[in-house]
Amino acid sequence: MASGDALLVAEHLTKRYRDVTALDDVSFSIFDGITGILGENGAGKSTAIKIFLGLIRPTSGSATVLGQDAFESVAVRGRLGYMPEHDCLPGQVSAAEFLTHLAEASGLPPSAARTRAADTLRHAGLFEERYRAIGGYSTGMKQRVKLGQALVHDPAFVFLDEPTAGLDPVGREEMLDLVRKTHREFGISVLLSSHLMADVERTCDRIVVLQGGRLVESGEVGHFTKETETVFIEVDTNREALVAALQRRGVVVTAEGGGLTIEGADESVYDLVRDALVEAQAPLRRMAPRRAALTDLFERDGDRAPAGAGA
Amino acid sequence: MSAPPAGAAEAGRGREGTVFDIGYQRYTGAREGRARARMAVFKDGLRIAMGLGRGPRAKILPWFFVAVLAFIALIMALVAGAAERLGGPGAAQEMNLPSHSDFYGIASMILFVFAALVGPELLCRDRREGVIHLYLVRPLTGADYVFSRWAAFLVVVSAAAWLPQLILFLGLSMGDPAPLDYLGQHWLDVPRFLLAGLAMAAYTTTLALLTASFTTRRAYAAVFLVGLFMITTPFTAGAAQEIGGTAGQWISMFNLTNIPVHVNDVIFGQVSEITEEAPARAFPPAVLVGWYLAWTLVPAAILGWRYRRGAP
Repeated sequence: MASGDALLVAEHLTKRYRDVTALDDVSFSIFDGITGILGENGAGKSTAIKIFLGLIRPTSGSATVLGQDAFESVAVRGRLGYMPEHDCLPGQVSAAEFLTHLAEASGLPPSAARTRAADTLRHAGLFEERYRAIGGYSTGMKQRVKLGQALVHDPAFVFLDEPTAGLDPVGREEMLDLVRKTHREFGISVLLSSHLMADVERTCDRIVVLQGGRLVESGEVGHFTKETETVFIEVDTNREALVAALQRRGVVVTAEGGGLTIEGADESVYDLVRDALVEAQAPLRRMAPRRAALTDLFERDGDRAPAGAGA
Repeated sequence: MSAPPAGAAEAGRGREGTVFDIGYQRYTGAREGRARARMAVFKDGLRIAMGLGRGPRAKILPWFFVAVLAFIALIMALVAGAAERLGGPGAAQEMNLPSHSDFYGIASMILFVFAALVGPELLCRDRREGVIHLYLVRPLTGADYVFSRWAAFLVVVSAAAWLPQLILFLGLSMGDPAPLDYLGQHWLDVPRFLLAGLAMAAYTTTLALLTASFTTRRAYAAVFLVGLFMITTPFTAGAAQEIGGTAGQWISMFNLTNIPVHVNDVIFGQVSEITEEAPARAFPPAVLVGWYLAWTLVPAAILGWRYRRGAP
């Protein structure tokens, strides 16, 4: 597949369960890289992932994975990985045995499956613990096994559903590092489903936002944060005079704590701020550009904010 | 101790190795698709059923039943052998001691309990622990998964059924004063008990796994199955005797323990001890075999339907 080709394509995807519409005419494409899929519970994230994994058939529209129909092609699933949010690990067997078995279940010959299982557990940071029964693992270790089973057969694309669920801050950071490594070092594209915007913002190159089964936004993460770039300034005195001077120049300014936030961060805004500071004779204490977080973006546009955005 | 020569020291240093982390390696080998995936699930099913690669507790139940079945066959062989030696050639046959055609009738309840206790483990645990979701996102359909599990348990139950028959056959051969004559006269018993054992295994496997497909707890499936076999046997036998006639015969057909034993009787061409009193034995062989097939194929179809793609 040539670079730049879409790996996943949803075209007018609709899924209805009797009276409930889980996905409503959704179209988007996902390319090489790490893509975040955001949305509240019931937004349609899981339904979209299930359709791409071929587990359910869409009511209408089409879902294409690695160039093949997601529902019709069983073979394509040999090149996909899936890390579910819910528990999916057997307690009695060791991680090495489990990953070897699932590598075989993905079509790898037994000898290759054993080698891949050991390598994958090493990359997931579980090499020393690989012969212990999974039932005795901590939550963080279990999450690593879940990620490992999704990668053990070296997929081209992997779906990660809430990979940081249940992890403490250190474990969460380590898991996000692994997710980043999965693409940047292993070369495997990722679709990261999460309701934690901070995770998505720090990890993903692009996002797809769903709400109520509809597509709200999709594009590069940088695009959303750049759109709302601001400048934060603090002055020692004459703050009111500065505000008046800025407003006379048509600059959108809002008070925030002890400082002022100014919308837009191109060169002309800096010039206007300089002129206003001189006019108001306000001694500048601090001036810094500030890029809005995804959280700020969706909180501001309250009507399209996914739940848990502040997390 | 003298110092090693300089050359040896150099050679020693030359043998020292360094471990390099070569980073993540993409897999470029063969991908064998669905066939390999089915085989993996099948092999795993064998390991689960026999407790292989698991702790000792997982091994107790299956191996206990295999040992009990083998023990019954051993006793039967020893008794027949003793009868031959004490009563002379042909004494075992004259005394009408139970043989190959009777074994599955005698052992049927043990085989059913074995299937009821062990079989559900192949499906229940995967659904309870959520592992089924990891199978269904691989190059494997729900039907592939359940068929592979079914085939694995069929092999285990067949082996559990055949092993005692084999012991019995060897025991009877060696117990006979003329073993070669015995083999020549009774060699047909081998394909018969293989076929009858397969029929027994297919029936018990299908019912056990169908029941397991409705629950995530092995204990619930096991209690239901054992209860079903235990209750239908005396109930249908009593009601069939009481009502009599064709209606009684049909009631007798609902004795779930006897259904595969009737097929065993058809294969061996003689009524076994366990079905001797069953009114259903009077039905023509085609009806008995058809009834068996209905009780095996319909549950198999329901089982397949339960595991259609993404269903569990």
